[in-house]
Amino acid sequence: MPHRLGPMQTLPSPMRRFKENETVDYCIVGVGSAGGVLVQRLARAGFRVVGLEAGPFWDTEKDWVSDEKGSYELYWNDLRITGGTHPLALGANNSGKGVGGGSVHWAAFAPRFHPSDFRVYSEDGVGVDWPMSYWDLKPYYELLEREIPVAGPAWFPWGDPHGHPYGPHPLGGVGDVLVRGCTNLGIRSVAGGPVAILSASHGDRPHCIYRGFCIQGCKVGAKASTLITHVPDAISHGAEIRAHAMASRVSLREDGRVDGVFYFDREGKEHFQRSRAVIVSGYAIETPRLLLNSACPGHRHGLANSSGTLGKYLMAQAGDVVAGRFEELIRLYKAPPAHALSEEFYETDPRRGFARGFAVQTVGPLPVAFAKQMVAAIGAWGWGMRRVMMDYNHWATLGVLGEILPWEENRVELAEEKDRHGLPVAKVTFTLHDNDKKLIEFGKNKVMEIMWAAGAKQVVQESRFAHLVGASRMGSDPSTSVVDKFGRTHDIPNLFVCDGSILPTQGSANPGLTIQALAARTADYLIKQGDNIFFSNRRDLTEPGIRYDLSPPYTKFKGNPRIA
Amino acid sequence: MSRKSFPYKATGGEQRDLSQPGYYAGYSTMAQKKNWEEATRTLVTKRVEQTLAIRFFSQEQAALLAAVVDRVMPQDDRTEGRTIPILSILDERLHKNSLNGFRYEDMPPDQEAYKLAIQAIEEMAQERFRESFPDLSVHRQELILKSLHDGKPEPENSIWQRMPVHRFWAMLMEDCITAYYSHPWAWDEIGFGGPAYPRGYMRLENGLPEPWEKDEQRSEWNAPVDSLSELEEDSAPPEHGSLHGHGGSH
Ligand SMILES: Cc1cc2nc3c(=O)[nH]c(=O)nc-3n(C[C@H](O)[C@H](O)[C@H](O)COP(=O)(O)OP(=O)(O)OC[C@H]3O[C@@H](n4cnc5c(N)ncnc54)[C@H](O)[C@@H]3O)c2cc1C
Ligand code: SF4
Repeated sequence: MPHRLGPMQTLPSPMRRFKENETVDYCIVGVGSAGGVLVQRLARAGFRVVGLEAGPFWDTEKDWVSDEKGSYELYWNDLRITGGTHPLALGANNSGKGVGGGSVHWAAFAPRFHPSDFRVYSEDGVGVDWPMSYWDLKPYYELLEREIPVAGPAWFPWGDPHGHPYGPHPLGGVGDVLVRGCTNLGIRSVAGGPVAILSASHGDRPHCIYRGFCIQGCKVGAKASTLITHVPDAISHGAEIRAHAMASRVSLREDGRVDGVFYFDREGKEHFQRSRAVIVSGYAIETPRLLLNSACPGHRHGLANSSGTLGKYLMAQAGDVVAGRFEELIRLYKAPPAHALSEEFYETDPRRGFARGFAVQTVGPLPVAFAKQMVAAIGAWGWGMRRVMMDYNHWATLGVLGEILPWEENRVELAEEKDRHGLPVAKVTFTLHDNDKKLIEFGKNKVMEIMWAAGAKQVVQESRFAHLVGASRMGSDPSTSVVDKFGRTHDIPNLFVCDGSILPTQGSANPGLTIQALAARTADYLIKQGDNIFFSNRRDLTEPGIRYDLSPPYTKFKGNPRIA
Repeated sequence: MSRKSFPYKATGGEQRDLSQPGYYAGYSTMAQKKNWEEATRTLVTKRVEQTLAIRFFSQEQAALLAAVVDRVMPQDDRTEGRTIPILSILDERLHKNSLNGFRYEDMPPDQEAYKLAIQAIEEMAQERFRESFPDLSVHRQELILKSLHDGKPEPENSIWQRMPVHRFWAMLMEDCITAYYSHPWAWDEIGFGGPAYPRGYMRLENGLPEPWEKDEQRSEWNAPVDSLSELEEDSAPPEHGSLHGHGGSH
């Protein structure tokens, strides 16, 4: 049986296998949202690339199911410790394990960051500015929107207004509630996207069938994940993806350059992959963990941590869920959870008394997830739980997505506990600050107001957090950041970080599209620099210029509409 | 599953046995299984047919926890052959030590947490009512569990000083809910469409049923009238916010 990636696509075969002692150009740790794009670009440009992925190489027909409980394996379920005043729920709350990483279970909301997100310190006096601007990233947003591709309205009015290459999706019951509630309050909303889900077929990927299991991994292949958008093309161009390969340590040579990565295979046997450069793309928790675990003489506090900021400035977004009970039936399980939103409250409004803002988005919890929300929101248990769940089809759910600022004390460290390979696990500490609390309070009340305005008879809410980023942030000052604007660590010229952990701030847009756009830009930079990366310590900070010839198939002939 | 619940106090009504509680009479997700793809069909069918032996808990621990589960996720309204296994699913998780990806720094490991909680609940029953928890009347069992739910264990027990009661409660609820609402009989009860690949849905708006779904027919459900676990008017959300995973969200 061929290895299936959706009902129509199969994994290109055979995949190249590098020999145990062969040196590759790039060893990429983690084939997730960012790693998948990097592997593909670098392979297309002719580099010898290996992607080490801790989890399995999914065969979507065999391994994935239309079932909540049965999708347990998609997540990073290994032990992590969580603490602080507002400890974050991890596991299914934040990251994936397996080729595709978090893009396998993301809801695929794909809004861009706003231009203001890159300058929050200049504009609002909070957080930090990015060492780059929105306009540096814009061409990559457009390109990725065509590659994965993104469906949505032809006119998206917020931030830098733009349109989407694929048409919007039909509205489900929850989107209807969002649009109705917003309209009654005079708030602008959009429906049918932006979401990285196909509204029409694309090459060997069928369009959405509205079954609502996006977070369980889309068996249909309609929802984008790097597993199906970029990894097949990477393999066609000679990359090797080594699944069940858990990186344990990046190896540093005496001359201060890295020369490869140690990893454990499925059986727990240790190997070494020699490479001329290393990119860590393991997610905002595992990336700092790996670099901290790679401490060695000269880098006692972790690799690339001369600034002492590795692991710090971890961010989440406020993700409060507001549930409203309606007289009429909603059936919130139909249609993708991600399909309508408003960014009307995104930027700072001085009248509100806090900096920055939030978005309002549809969410679509399936029964188990919804029951958990009822535990948190109304303390349901026993007969009360049975009763409220019998009304499952009468509820609609909307999410706040609020910006939480970067704070030094919110961080990833190493815990005393060890995993099965004997590696210290991550300890995550998270505490809200004054601005965050005010923002959350305002955001949740606003979304409750929208729910009432849509006609709900009862409105409840649950506080929660989503989307961890930061912890290896980029910046121009090597004493306050870990990497430069291309993801190159300030300390080690051939060691890069490229994933959500390099984000200095996160706005109130879901981070996935931005993470992939940044990965494509870093890849262009590496390709432009060529062999310099492997031999030279010179740091060139000029923009590489975008390459349009390295996209996966079916990207050509698609456009980004602009209806002014 | 102990079926000794009714009447609860003096006022409890007689409980009818229902093969399918809920407002979707005649709706069956399993009847649709020929329309599901193989991996899902195999998984869900196994869930309905399998019986798992208790391997993690001792007999006494299992008996006590079974009594807890019967109140936390009560099924007295379901006929004998249509009750959904919960304890065995929880036992399996702990037996395999499969984690949900994290542990609060103030919590012991999951396996230990359950053992401690079982001990605490039994001690609370003995101290308050001089009887073992499984032997208590339903009302007394609920009194003890409600105090855990409210985060104010009554009577106090030193174990809850070592392990935050609200965190244990959230984990217990998560385990029970996951077992119950991942079972197709629960999907029938709440009118959820169940697996839908490769067929998908075509009626997205206005809560309309697919041709193979059923419309809702509301009727009075014969839940006991005096259970302490009924929904309270204006029940406030617990202070501690989200304590669990993020499935189904953005
Ligand atoms: C339920 C849910 C819904 C979401 N919905 C959205 C959404 O709608 N829109 C959006 O933009 N974002 C969404 N997100 C967030 C999104 O999934 C992440 O932000 C994104 O995937 C992060 O990308 P990344 O490249 O940083 O890491 P990941 O995509 O997590 O990739 C990291 C990869 O590295 C691997 N890895 C880690 N450590 C090692 C190691 N030591 N050795 C080998 N491999 C390793 C991991 O197994 C993983 O595959 C959602 C998240 C969740 C949990
Ligand atoms: S709703 Fe669409 S994108 Fe989501 S899982 Fe179903 S087919 Fe895939």
